[in-house]
Amino acid sequence: MSAGGMREDRNWGGSALVLPALVLVAAFLLAPLALILRYSFDKYDPVKLMLGVFSPGNYVLAVADPFYQKVLTTTAGIAALSTVIVMLLAFPVAYYISRLESQRLRGWLIILTMLPLLLGNAVRSAAWMIVMGTKGVANSMMLGAGLIEEPIKILYTQTAVVIALVSVLLPFAIITLQSVMDSIPTSLEEAGQSLGHSPLRTVFGVVLPLAMPGVVAAAAISFALAMNAYATPVLIGGPTIKMMGPAVYDQIAKANNWPFGSTLACILMLATLLLTVLSTRFLSRKYF
Amino acid sequence: MKRREFVGAGLAVAGAGMLGMRPAYAQSKQIVVTNWGGDWNGRAVKHIEAPLLESKGWTIVRDLNEQPQRMTKILAERRLPRGTVDVAHFADGEAYTLNVQDALETIDYSKIPNAATMIPKMKQPYFMPWLYSAWEVVYLADRIKDPVTSYADMWNPKYAGKIGVMDQNYGAAMQVASILAGGKMDNFEGAKKLLLEWKKAVQPKIYPSHQQAQAALKADEIWMLGNWKARGLQWQKDGLNVRVASPKEGGIHTVFGVVIPKRAANKDGAHAYLNALIDPEGMRNLCSDNFYAPPTTAVSIPGEVGAKIAFTPAQTAALHYYDHKYWAENITKWLDWWKKDFVGS
Repeated sequence: MSAGGMREDRNWGGSALVLPALVLVAAFLLAPLALILRYSFDKYDPVKLMLGVFSPGNYVLAVADPFYQKVLTTTAGIAALSTVIVMLLAFPVAYYISRLESQRLRGWLIILTMLPLLLGNAVRSAAWMIVMGTKGVANSMMLGAGLIEEPIKILYTQTAVVIALVSVLLPFAIITLQSVMDSIPTSLEEAGQSLGHSPLRTVFGVVLPLAMPGVVAAAAISFALAMNAYATPVLIGGPTIKMMGPAVYDQIAKANNWPFGSTLACILMLATLLLTVLSTRFLSRKYF
Repeated sequence: MKRREFVGAGLAVAGAGMLGMRPAYAQSKQIVVTNWGGDWNGRAVKHIEAPLLESKGWTIVRDLNEQPQRMTKILAERRLPRGTVDVAHFADGEAYTLNVQDALETIDYSKIPNAATMIPKMKQPYFMPWLYSAWEVVYLADRIKDPVTSYADMWNPKYAGKIGVMDQNYGAAMQVASILAGGKMDNFEGAKKLLLEWKKAVQPKIYPSHQQAQAALKADEIWMLGNWKARGLQWQKDGLNVRVASPKEGGIHTVFGVVIPKRAANKDGAHAYLNALIDPEGMRNLCSDNFYAPPTTAVSIPGEVGAKIAFTPAQTAALHYYDHKYWAENITKWLDWWKKDFVGS
């Protein structure tokens, strides 16, 4: 057998290893997505659930309805704000961890960062409910410190949703950023400082541009997760804060309107994809 | 939906169905029960399932979830050769909706000896009643000194900002408003105007469900809300200083019970479960604990608790009953209106 033939055999072997994962993804991700896409063009009937027709009516309704326009813009707004705050908070933490000399401390900080991920999102939201309630920890502390005279409403507001989402997204952003910063040699920062840059200017002039691939990746992950959030807006936002994830759930599970729920799900996927691609391309052109 | 067009739905559901599929053993001692979770299920286990079924060799597999998800599951499974649920707990209106959609088995009452003493009006071929109560008004006794006598008290502007409403019970809110607008249970158009006026003048606080509403009463955020009489009495028992008022317009009769899905794998087991559910001894213990009224004449609740649970002849005569057909045909539209125009406004 020739050397080329052996290489081809090895390539086939590699492809075969990928096959099970591909089959699983096709069966459990692409097939349901295709079903959802098909359902989104169907029509709801209170008795038959779906009529088996093919009509763009749901899309027209969803796009033209001011209520769903508002739900989509609220979702995008909350997701964008949460992402910006997460990036501002995650960057210094990731930078600090990546520049630690003590491997032991570094290991502990990474474990601490990932610790919240070991708890379910609903459990963390329940904890936030205890903190943010009228007689919750936050109000008690502010009352005790004399900052407020009466309990203020924190739970069931957009601010509460943003705070809780930031806490959910922060570990993802820190871990993503930290792994990219690890690959940036400290000698480049030393070079910057030897040329007279202050430490702050070195971070913004040297580290940030080099870490931009990580910043873009972390922001994209955070934004996509925030756009599709469900437990946080339901538990922390309550019935009055409308986001797309709960709106999809309401239609599918509460109204039994699978076609319209599928339409909202497709619009949510498309909006997330579009906004993520556009922002990634914008940042890429600016810094890469 | 036509058979060919259902292929898509089949793909999605078949996967779940195949994974959870089990053979239909006539002698199987396993019963899959789907129910609400929380204290509702906890009391069913404590007073019925554990002492009357599990102690006798039955295995109860519990599939706990909210009502919409459980309804969706049964609807999705109605086209499969075999479903994953043997018994499902629902309110009577939900059972009607499922029955209209051909998802329920006809109950064989000859296999349920305990049903012989059941109040005939509540019994349906597709739905066995288990507990009933009425939607009334629950309020904090130390905050509202004037006794509440009407649903209209929740519309009183002097309580602005101190009235609660539960998002999950939007249907009850619409029924109450409809009664105030003219007493209709088969036409809620009048309710919409009244609810919007209510939102503007009284600014009711909207909570997702009972637990959050209870916490809001405890925290003095709200003073009054509509709820089931039984739920109000449970809150009393939990130490909350609330009173339950039977409105002069009449409460809204609500029955909770069970159905057997058409594709249930163990229908014999399901009937055995239904018989145990209305066992007089079990019911007596359960009703004394959760304050719902039993639907069989074989059960009487003694003492003060019995007096609290019972409805007087006048209250019974004034009760409003669901128009199930109207409910099933319009519930999706009301949810849409509630989300967009009431909550969203």
